[in-house]
Amino acid sequence: MADRRRRPRRAVLALGCLALACLAIPARAAPLDRAAFAAALCGDAAAQVRGAEGLVQAGGALPADDLARAGRLLGALAERRLSCTAEGAVLLDRPGAPEGRDAVTDAVRPAAEARAPVLGLRQRAAIETARGVVALLTGPDPAARAAGLAVLERRIAAVPEAVLDRARDAETDAALRGTIAGLAQAAALSSPDPARRLGAIGAVAASPSGTARARLATLKGDPAYAADPAFRAAVDAGLAKVSRAVAIGDGLAVVYNGLSFASILFMAAAGLAIIFGLMGVINLAQGEFIMLGAYATYGVQEVFRQFAPALLDLYLVAAIPVAFGAVALVGIVVEALILRHLYRRPLMSLLATWAVSLFLVNLIRVTVGTQNLQFAMPAYVSGGVPLYADFVVTWNRLFAIGFAAATLVLTLLILRRTPLGLDIRAVTQNRDMAACLGLPTRRVDRLAFGLGSGLAGLAGVALCPIYSVNPGMGSGFIVDSFMVVVLGGVGSLIGTLVAALGVGGANVLIEPISGAVAAKVIVLVGIILFLQRRPEGLFAVRRRR
Amino acid sequence: MTHLTRRSFVGTAALLAAPALIRPAYAADTVKLGCLFSSSGTMANLEGRLNHVVRMAADEINGRGGVNGRQIEVVTSDPASDWPLYAQVGRQMLQQEKVAALFGCWTSVSRKSVLPVVEQNDGLLFYPLHFEGDENSKSVVYVNSPPASSVLPAVDYLMGPDGVGAKRFFMIGSDYVWPRTINKQLKGYWTGKGIPETAWREEYVPFGFSNFQTLVNQVRSFASQPGGQPIVVLTVVGSSIPDFLREFANQGISATDVPILGLDMVEADLEGLDTGKLVGHLNCWAYLQAAKSARNTTFLSDWASYVKAKNVPFSADTVIDPMVSAYDSVHLWALAAAKAGSFAVPEVRKAFAGLRFDDPSGYTLTMTGENNYVSRGVFIGSVNEKRGFDVLWQSPDAPKPVPFSPYG
Repeated sequence: MADRRRRPRRAVLALGCLALACLAIPARAAPLDRAAFAAALCGDAAAQVRGAEGLVQAGGALPADDLARAGRLLGALAERRLSCTAEGAVLLDRPGAPEGRDAVTDAVRPAAEARAPVLGLRQRAAIETARGVVALLTGPDPAARAAGLAVLERRIAAVPEAVLDRARDAETDAALRGTIAGLAQAAALSSPDPARRLGAIGAVAASPSGTARARLATLKGDPAYAADPAFRAAVDAGLAKVSRAVAIGDGLAVVYNGLSFASILFMAAAGLAIIFGLMGVINLAQGEFIMLGAYATYGVQEVFRQFAPALLDLYLVAAIPVAFGAVALVGIVVEALILRHLYRRPLMSLLATWAVSLFLVNLIRVTVGTQNLQFAMPAYVSGGVPLYADFVVTWNRLFAIGFAAATLVLTLLILRRTPLGLDIRAVTQNRDMAACLGLPTRRVDRLAFGLGSGLAGLAGVALCPIYSVNPGMGSGFIVDSFMVVVLGGVGSLIGTLVAALGVGGANVLIEPISGAVAAKVIVLVGIILFLQRRPEGLFAVRRRR
Repeated sequence: MTHLTRRSFVGTAALLAAPALIRPAYAADTVKLGCLFSSSGTMANLEGRLNHVVRMAADEINGRGGVNGRQIEVVTSDPASDWPLYAQVGRQMLQQEKVAALFGCWTSVSRKSVLPVVEQNDGLLFYPLHFEGDENSKSVVYVNSPPASSVLPAVDYLMGPDGVGAKRFFMIGSDYVWPRTINKQLKGYWTGKGIPETAWREEYVPFGFSNFQTLVNQVRSFASQPGGQPIVVLTVVGSSIPDFLREFANQGISATDVPILGLDMVEADLEGLDTGKLVGHLNCWAYLQAAKSARNTTFLSDWASYVKAKNVPFSADTVIDPMVSAYDSVHLWALAAAKAGSFAVPEVRKAFAGLRFDDPSGYTLTMTGENNYVSRGVFIGSVNEKRGFDVLWQSPDAPKPVPFSPYG
């Protein structure tokens, strides 16, 4: 039925497309010249671009099976599965396969000694657009067609009207149909028809972004802007609307970036707040505990890969208890073997934890290697979604923010609502009195050290999707975490949270103005000045002396 | 910066520990070569490999009977990505270990720190990285390319019709001498081509920086402004490279929107990344793993078997340009020492003129004696799905190196 509706339009298009006869593919309602198309894709850079652009131009008129076949060829070319032999192009199942199917006749042919062209950026862009057209016109479900549309949206200037019209007419999904129509309307920004131009301005302004702002801003130089008051008003109104939306989007991005940086700082510092706050131990191995957490996550991933590949996407969740437990255990062992003997000698415990950090780094280096670990990133921590104007929410950062919030709540619950938390708070406030009242302070120390280490392990899980995981990754966190803990007030988890938010927010706010290097310096100087005024930090825990 | 602060915290301890960082080697009838590559700190993942490659090259030469009748002995060290420590360890290597030559440094800041040491002690440092040029010491052999034969061809490619016709440039670098000099020269180059100053932006980050959200936001907003196709010229180093790439891909920018030319980006930086969304970004080096030559096939299989035999903690299937350059360095030194019939630095230096060596890249390395630069080929690589680089373009021959840039 859709076919019948399209037929008169196709006849009109055929006339229009005759003008494009110089292209590699004759753009007619007639089927695709498969041999010529395959030859173009196997040609030099210019021929490949011509072939792909020709398909885009003719796309509105080609039969669906021709489009699908062209899409397969383009996909193979992009993935280096298109092998160019002397007898013509061969489609392979995988790159470097010994034989494949002929691009024109589908006969099985050997592809040995053949050339698989490497695409330059210009060809890649043209081929991406052509694949977008194919996906939009022949995609089996709305998601596939929407993905094709998203590609075309970025290069809307290169897409002929006919393609969008055909896609809109054939679209069954109402929402997607609306999107296509909006895009088609927006594409008419340089149309000679004033009414369509006004519509286009409205359509462009309806989906605000920096690009939309730039497109509207160029209209200010248009002769119609000076001559036609209606046009001028529409451009000005559209521009104001888009600029406002972009400003809001940028503001949201600043908030999001600040939150995300703060969540990383908080995750790294939370364990230290407990260890440093309770025992006064300057634990220089805290960064390496984070690293161990990340390696534990890797271990969990490998176990999943081995025994439950179907559930691989869940390994990050499964790693949470494992990383916590494993690193807490390491912390308890370190405390029992080393730190226990050094409680009265803070300088010694500082050196001892530094030695532990060196030991752990080298242990991992020798046993696992120094390369960055390869993580399979599940969909919930890779990529992002544009939320409003130019504001993109990246999933890995959102994961870290959520993770940090959950950690905060759980740690507060442990500290405030459990017997262990009560003991920890008692020992933090007055160790001698707690001991007099019969609290086993040494046991509490050990458990608190385990809790603090376990929190570092959790930080390792949260950081896997964001940073590169290698034996040296911990060293970058130690200074930042001490900074946050000292600024927040030793022993106060809420102080640590506020300090993390403050340092993260300040960094993100200053960075665009003065650059990342100066931002770091300014924040450090600010902290020094603050600590001179208030050495006990933001939230000091009251202690008895 | 965090790293240095932490180090200063225990600075004295590190300095005291430095003598123990050199692994001593005792044997008669050997000639010692010293390595200055970090196996800890932000550069560890990259520099660490070069120690092993130097050993592998030395083993190869020893297998053929050594040089001038002596076996080569490799002395390694760990300057811990701490730039002043390179100078200190280098001095010990030259004065106490009496090494015949040093092979070392990745970042230019570490080379600049070793430079006075090798000059005072009349030593010889083989430097395996492509770099900013503008330096011509008789004590340093610049085994890799200055910008005129690496960066400029790549930028030209991107600005030309085969690339993307780039008109605007966002430069992001680590804050030290290499990125700043490269960017200065690029700006001079663009000014010479009549490109206005408004067409570029320059941002720097501290060493080991990883929070690239704000910068990638800025790239997106730069890209949405009118004025022509933008590209990113990336000169961050070490662990910042994968962190930048990850954020770039997560914010949904593809190589066909804004291509990145990663000047320090090597195969090893892509380990651990999902490169499906990074396909098409570019780098430029004097060697790529995908280089087609018989010597490369041999080299790759030699490295793989060396990794297996010696239990080296690095990937057996990843080979990067500085590894090949370090390998070339040892061979160039051995050729020169054999030609001179001596290990004395002045004699070896004289023997550099007219040296030729066929290296894995498929080009023939040559030295002229005019300076200590080596002629290398030029490759432009394009990231593929398999965490490697495809060869997008390569120079027809090895251009003559130009030490001093005319562009500022």
